[in-house]
Amino acid sequence: MPKCKINGQEVEVEAGTTIIEAFKKLDSEIAHYCYHPGLSVAGVCRLCMVEIEGNPRLQIACNTVVQDGMVINNNSEKVKETVKWGLDFHLINHPLDCPICDQAGECELQIQYMKFGQYDPEMAEPKVKKNKVVDLGSKIVLDSERCILCSRCVRFTEEVSKTNELGIFNRGDRSEIGTFDGKPLENDYAVNTVDICPVGALTSKDFRFRQRVWYLKNKETVCPGCSTGCNVKSYYNEEGLFRVKPRQNDEVNGYWMCDKGRDTYKFVNKENRLLEPKVGQSGQWDSQEVDGVMSVMSTKIDDAVKSAGSDKVALVLTGQYTSEEYASMLSYFVGHLKSKNVYHWVNNPESFDEFDGLLLRGDRNPNTKGLLNGLDQHGITAPWSDLETKLNAGDIEVLLVAGPEDPSVFPTLTEKVSLFSKAKNLFWMSAAKTEAADSATTKTWQIPLKTYAEKEGTFVNHKGIEQKIQPMVNIVDCAQTLSEVASALSGQKVDHLGSLVKDRKTNHFINHHGGGL
Amino acid sequence: MSIVKKPGAIANWYLPGIFAGMWFTLVTMIRNIFNQDKMITKNYPEDKYEYSPRFKGNHVLTVKKDGSLRCTACMLCATACPADCIKIKASEHENPAVEKYPISYEIDILRCVYCGYCEEACPVDAVRMGPEWQTPGLAGTNFSYDIQHLAYRAQLKGGVLSRVDDEERHKAGI
Ligand code: SF4
Ligand code: SF4
Ligand code: SF4
Ligand code: SF4
Ligand code: FES
Repeated sequence: MPKCKINGQEVEVEAGTTIIEAFKKLDSEIAHYCYHPGLSVAGVCRLCMVEIEGNPRLQIACNTVVQDGMVINNNSEKVKETVKWGLDFHLINHPLDCPICDQAGECELQIQYMKFGQYDPEMAEPKVKKNKVVDLGSKIVLDSERCILCSRCVRFTEEVSKTNELGIFNRGDRSEIGTFDGKPLENDYAVNTVDICPVGALTSKDFRFRQRVWYLKNKETVCPGCSTGCNVKSYYNEEGLFRVKPRQNDEVNGYWMCDKGRDTYKFVNKENRLLEPKVGQSGQWDSQEVDGVMSVMSTKIDDAVKSAGSDKVALVLTGQYTSEEYASMLSYFVGHLKSKNVYHWVNNPESFDEFDGLLLRGDRNPNTKGLLNGLDQHGITAPWSDLETKLNAGDIEVLLVAGPEDPSVFPTLTEKVSLFSKAKNLFWMSAAKTEAADSATTKTWQIPLKTYAEKEGTFVNHKGIEQKIQPMVNIVDCAQTLSEVASALSGQKVDHLGSLVKDRKTNHFINHHGGGL
Repeated sequence: MSIVKKPGAIANWYLPGIFAGMWFTLVTMIRNIFNQDKMITKNYPEDKYEYSPRFKGNHVLTVKKDGSLRCTACMLCATACPADCIKIKASEHENPAVEKYPISYEIDILRCVYCGYCEEACPVDAVRMGPEWQTPGLAGTNFSYDIQHLAYRAQLKGGVLSRVDDEERHKAGI
């Protein structure tokens, strides 16, 4: 294994490692645009210049392999001068419209310029004008003037999504990113190009102009969009979530995520949420207090168990909750009620096992595996058809349903609700506000639950990897987790306000300027 | 004790000082009665003092030549504001040359500390602090100034033109 010295620090790397990777290994800073660890090397931006002892000219770090005994630095005056003038070239035709650019605040060009900047450009010629606000399909907007032609986006569509939509057209300072014949950039991974674009040339239509990035905080979490469980960062402020970006995990998602996963922030926000418990049926609803509904639920269950046995009570679970919630709900059912009437609601049985070859899976739940593990542990094997038979025969007094968190992945929601309506009393627990649930035709209590952004817990992905989620915002104050429901039912008094005070600092957002990037 | 009494009998001779002061008051009063236009005090509120245009008073949003808002909704003013009293909502403009513009821009003037940071932060001379300094209002007055008030209130006579013009910059090749 070759050894080299970087800025005076000794490091040993695998044979074939490039200098920039050795820098990354040391966590040493090096300017770069075109290099991306998930893509091939292009070597076009000329920013990653390093000085190698014994070599009269500077070399690019991204395309030079470490040799044994190399002495490398990127902090000499010579390197700094070179990077500075390299940046000046990048800025010759750059419009510098940072005030209206969505990337401002997390733009590599801004960052490097602030560091190496040559604040008065030397170029006297007028800038070359190119196309602005080019519509690249339903998800992305291109601004050719801002593009620094690093070709990351082109390499992404070539190597990762393998759809080849993007290319560089024309020559010299007229070069521009574009799609052939103006075809739209529509693939299931297209928004990744927005993430890897080091400048604001590619911006996401969904996020465009909705927030300045420095107003948002972020936390690391797991995408609840499917059983792949991509590692992501969610960006939020006190109003709710605004966007989701992937973070690296080689075992799970590499550097990417799918575009469907990027929509998973929407169902968390207030406009799509069930805001308070309510009771009623067929479109007639009255609002309720959480504690009241909980005690009604536990009385109804007790009455049903006492008069007719625990067979009259059933629980339906979906793969949208955390393993901890399943554990407490199942131990309440099996341990406390001595009932194994628990059923797994599979949202889309036809396409459940599909896989698009890259990341997205047909199982659009984050924790199906966790649910199956829980059911296994308690020896629960009852098939879905049992529940249908019992409901059709009118055998269920009290039905508890932990419904969808994201209703958009439940294509047969309305049919299922009308099936559940055959129970005498329905307790519908869900984070989402849905027309389907409002149309329930039996006496129904709707109880708001917390979403993945408001609680902590574990998701087990399709490979069996356990991953943690963490709370970031509180959107609906009275929302419960299934664990809280289970402990309320089993007689432990939970003071839901108490639990809020414990988890939440009330002055969390007083200084909202301090979003960590 | 902050008042130091001078020792000696001379300190008791205060009456001449009193009369000198009264005489000055009398002379000034008579001069003011016969010479009202040179009077220093103003008959506020009928008679108002005009501050210099550089005075940092109430905010003005400037406009472009066509009368539309100059503001590009970059939120730098809101970011710089220490009182956190500027609220902006941005949106996509149908004209791609404009691209981003504010659909709402509000200053909560009762929270504003008139520091002028917003004016300094603005890259396109879109927000300025003008010479108006009065913000009186009766109960129920809305002190959250919106675009209509900030850019087009009657006192501005159709709006203040911004110094930074995109078209001219484009022609100059910037
Ligand atoms: S659009 Fe962005 S990612 Fe693509 S070449 Fe230009 S700067 Fe690079
Ligand atoms: S592949 Fe699945 S887990 Fe990954 S981003 Fe898409 S929906 Fe989310
Ligand atoms: S003058 Fe100061 S406090 Fe008032 S709006 Fe501007 S930045 Fe904020
Ligand atoms: S007034 Fe100026 S600083 Fe404030 S958002 Fe508008 S353009 Fe930006
Ligand atoms: S990162 Fe090495 S040339 Fe661009």
